[in-house]
Amino acid sequence: MEAERDETFGRVTVVMRRTFRLPENVEIERGTTSADVAGWDSLSHALLIMGIEEEFGLTLPFDKMYDLANVGELADLIRSLQGAG
Amino acid sequence: MRLGNLGVPQVFCHGNVQISRVLCIAQRLRSLYRSDPDRIACTFLAAGRVESITFGELYRRSLAYARRLGEEGVKPGDVVLVILQHTPHLAYSYLGAILAGAIPSFMPFPSPKQRPELYWADHQALFARIEPRLIVTYARNLADARAGISDFSVPTLVAGDEIFSIPGDPEIEYAGFAASPDDVACLQHSSGTTSLKKGVMLTHRAIFDEVSAYSRAIDFGPSDSIASWLPLYHDMGFIACFMASMLEGTHLVQLDAFEWTIRPHLLLDAMQDYRTTFCWLPNFAFSHIANTVPAQRRWDLSAVRAIIDCSEPCKKETFDRFAARFGECGIGPETLQVSYAMAENVFAVTQTTIGRPVRVAALDGAAFASGRAEPARPGGPQIAVVSCGPPLDGVEIRVRDERSTILPDGSIGEIAVASPFLFTGYYKLPQKTSERLRDGWYATGDMGFLLEGELFVTGRIDDMLIVNGRNYYAHEIEAIVNTVPSLLPGRNVAIGVDDPRSDATSVVVLAECVAGCDAGMAGREVKRAILERLGLAIGSLVPLAAGELIKTTSGKISRTKNKELFLERALRSAGASDGS
Repeated sequence: MEAERDETFGRVTVVMRRTFRLPENVEIERGTTSADVAGWDSLSHALLIMGIEEEFGLTLPFDKMYDLANVGELADLIRSLQGAG
Repeated sequence: MRLGNLGVPQVFCHGNVQISRVLCIAQRLRSLYRSDPDRIACTFLAAGRVESITFGELYRRSLAYARRLGEEGVKPGDVVLVILQHTPHLAYSYLGAILAGAIPSFMPFPSPKQRPELYWADHQALFARIEPRLIVTYARNLADARAGISDFSVPTLVAGDEIFSIPGDPEIEYAGFAASPDDVACLQHSSGTTSLKKGVMLTHRAIFDEVSAYSRAIDFGPSDSIASWLPLYHDMGFIACFMASMLEGTHLVQLDAFEWTIRPHLLLDAMQDYRTTFCWLPNFAFSHIANTVPAQRRWDLSAVRAIIDCSEPCKKETFDRFAARFGECGIGPETLQVSYAMAENVFAVTQTTIGRPVRVAALDGAAFASGRAEPARPGGPQIAVVSCGPPLDGVEIRVRDERSTILPDGSIGEIAVASPFLFTGYYKLPQKTSERLRDGWYATGDMGFLLEGELFVTGRIDDMLIVNGRNYYAHEIEAIVNTVPSLLPGRNVAIGVDDPRSDATSVVVLAECVAGCDAGMAGREVKRAILERLGLAIGSLVPLAAGELIKTTSGKISRTKNKELFLERALRSAGASDGS
C-alpha cells in the first residue's frame, strides 16, 4: 500500500519536473504547493493537469481539482481514481 | 458589411450614427420573449453539464428575480451586485435587476486559489463606497463574507430555483420597462482589483448604440452565435458576448472560466459542436489554446467567422502560430481579428475588417524607441505592431502628448477617445471621473499611434499590468509584498515580463531583503500572499540586497529602470548559459 503510494507520488513528481522544468536539486514533497514552485501559475497548471492525465491515463474531475491542498493530495486523488477504475 | 474601410478619415462626426429605435433593455427582452420565446438564448457548459435556456425562459425567470428583488426591498436606482458562477442564475438575476429598474453589476466570483475570507475583506472598502442595496450570491459564500467582514451587513439574496416557485408575471410593468434611455442601466467594474475598482456607469442608450455600431462593424446579426469562456465582470465577456447576444437575439454558448483555464480545448469543442461564428479572446488565450491542445486533435471550425483578439496587446507571432496550428480546422489569417476596447466606451473603440488579414506595421526599431512610428529600414532593427483597425462609426480617436497637444500620424502618444456611447462617469468617484473625462474626451492611459486611419496600441502610461486579460496595478501588488516580514518595506517593484514559453505576461517582483533572509522562503511567502489576496500566481521573486533597486531623481523607486535592469540581467544570464 505504502509502496503504491510512493510510486504514484514519484510519477507525479516526474510530471511536475517536466512541466515546470525543475532541476533535480529542487525537492518536491507531499506538502509542496503551487506557491513553492517557480512558474506554477494558472496557465502552467493546465499543462500539469494534462501531463498527469496522460501519465496515468485518467481524467481528473474538475470539481475536485481546486480542493487539493498540496501535491500529496493530488497523488492521493490519482490513487483513489485508479482504485475506482 | 463595412469592407473597404481602411481609407476612411480618422475623425468622424457623431451625426452619422443611427440611433436604435428601442433604447430600453427591459423592453428589448420583452420583445424577444414575444417574438422568439422558443429560440435558444444561452447554453451554459460546466463540468460536463449542458443547460440551454430559451428567450422565453430567460424572460420569465428574470421576471421572477425582479419580483423577488422587489420583495427584498430593492428599489429603482439601487445597486445590486451579482457574484455567481457561470450558470443560468447569473443571467436571470442580472437581467431581473434590470427589469426591476435597479443598477446591477457583475463582480468576479472568488477564485478557487484565493482565500475566500480575504476576497470579502478586500471588497469591504468597495462595498462601503458603492453601498450596494443587495448582493445575489450562493449560501456557501455568506459564511466567508462574514468571516472576512466582521460587520457584514449588506442584504443578500441566495440564488436558487426556489425563486421560480412564484413565476414572474409577464403583464406586470416593472420599473425597468419605464427606464429612460439616459438612465444608468448598469455599472461595470473592471479596472484594478478590490477597493480600487471603478464602477463605469453605462446608460441604456450607450449600450444600445455601442452594440448597434459594433454589430455593423462586424456584420453581426441573429444568424450569428458566440462561444465564450470569458468572465462577465469584464467588458469583453459582458458586452461583446452577453449583452450583444441578448440585444441582438443570438445564441451565446458560455463556458466556465476556471474550467476553461484547465481544459482550453473545451472552447474549440463548443465552437465545433454549436457551430458558433464569433469568439473574443485576450491575446494570452490564443497561445494557451495552441500550447495545450493535443497535437493530433482536429476540430471542424469552418463555421467560425472571426476570433477577435482584445484587451491585451495583440502579437503578430501569436496569430501566426494560431493560424498555423488551426489552419486545417478552418482558421486562417483572415479569421483572426483585433479590436481595441474598454469599458469606458461600453466596449469597442476600433475593429479590424472581418474577412481580411489584419495589417501589421513593420517599424524602425530605433525610431520606435524615440516615440515615432516610421517604416522599417532594410537591415535595421524592426518592430512589428499589429493594427487594431479603424474606429467604429461615430468614434473619434486622438493621439496626444502630455500637454494634450494632438500629435500627427505616426507619433506615439496617449490615446484619447470621444464617442456617442462614452460612459457618463465612475460611480461615486467624481474626482477620478474628471481626471480622465474632460470635454467629452476620455484619456485612456494607453499609448499608441494612428497610421492611415488605423489605430496601433503600444503600451500603457501608468503601472497597470495586464495578466491573462485581467488588470492589476503594480502598486497594489507591491503593497502586499510590503507585508512580508523578511523583505525591506517599500523596497520592491512589481513588473510585467513577457514569458516566451506561454506567450503571456508574467509578474516578477524585485525586492530588497533584510540581511540574512532566506530568499527561497521569502519567495514562497510573497507568492502565497499575492495568490491569497488577488488570486494571482506571480512568476517569481528576485531577491536583491539592500540599496540595489534603482531610484529616480526624485527618490522614488523606478519601475521602468528596474525592469530594464532585470531584462538586461536575464539576457546576460541566458547568454552565459547558452555559451556554457
